[in-house]
Amino acid sequence: MSTKVMPLELIDKCIGSRLWVIMKNSKELCGTLRGFDDYVNMVLDDVTEYTMVDGVKEKTKLEQILLNGNNIAVLVPGGDPEA
Amino acid sequence: MSELAASKPETTEDNNNDNDSLTPSTFLKTVLGRPVTVHLSSSSRYTGILSCLDGYMNIAMEQTEEYEGGQLKAKYGDVFIRGNNVMYIATEKKIK
Repeated sequence: MSTKVMPLELIDKCIGSRLWVIMKNSKELCGTLRGFDDYVNMVLDDVTEYTMVDGVKEKTKLEQILLNGNNIAVLVPGGDPEA
Repeated sequence: MSELAASKPETTEDNNNDNDSLTPSTFLKTVLGRPVTVHLSSSSRYTGILSCLDGYMNIAMEQTEEYEGGQLKAKYGDVFIRGNNVMYIATEKKIK
């Protein structure tokens, strides 16, 4: 019967583990999910930000961020694309 | 600050606040007065002391430095950033 998994339930299961976030604007972030709200604004720890600059991936490390849910396209549980 | 927190649109209390999760609303309450970096979707960056913010991520900052492409463009005493432009707010030290 209840084998359905609601999208936000899936994200809730990711709290405490690594999460790969792909943004609408060809930016990507990887971090440990600390929490989120109904808009999927998220608090992430130990974040690596990947930005495409002239076809080259640029990395930035961030201690902790509150990410606006507005620009999020895809969430991938498990984490880093290159780890 | 409590009325600010009460006026925000999120209804976060139903998300697992019982465990050690740090929801956006708790984050917002804790970052006040801290040094932060605000990244806008236009890829410009503002660093300064966070003096005030709300659930729309509207932000008031002090001692603000504006960076564009990693280069310091301007310094402001006070700055207001409309929330829709904010991509993320980064703190320099973790909130537990």
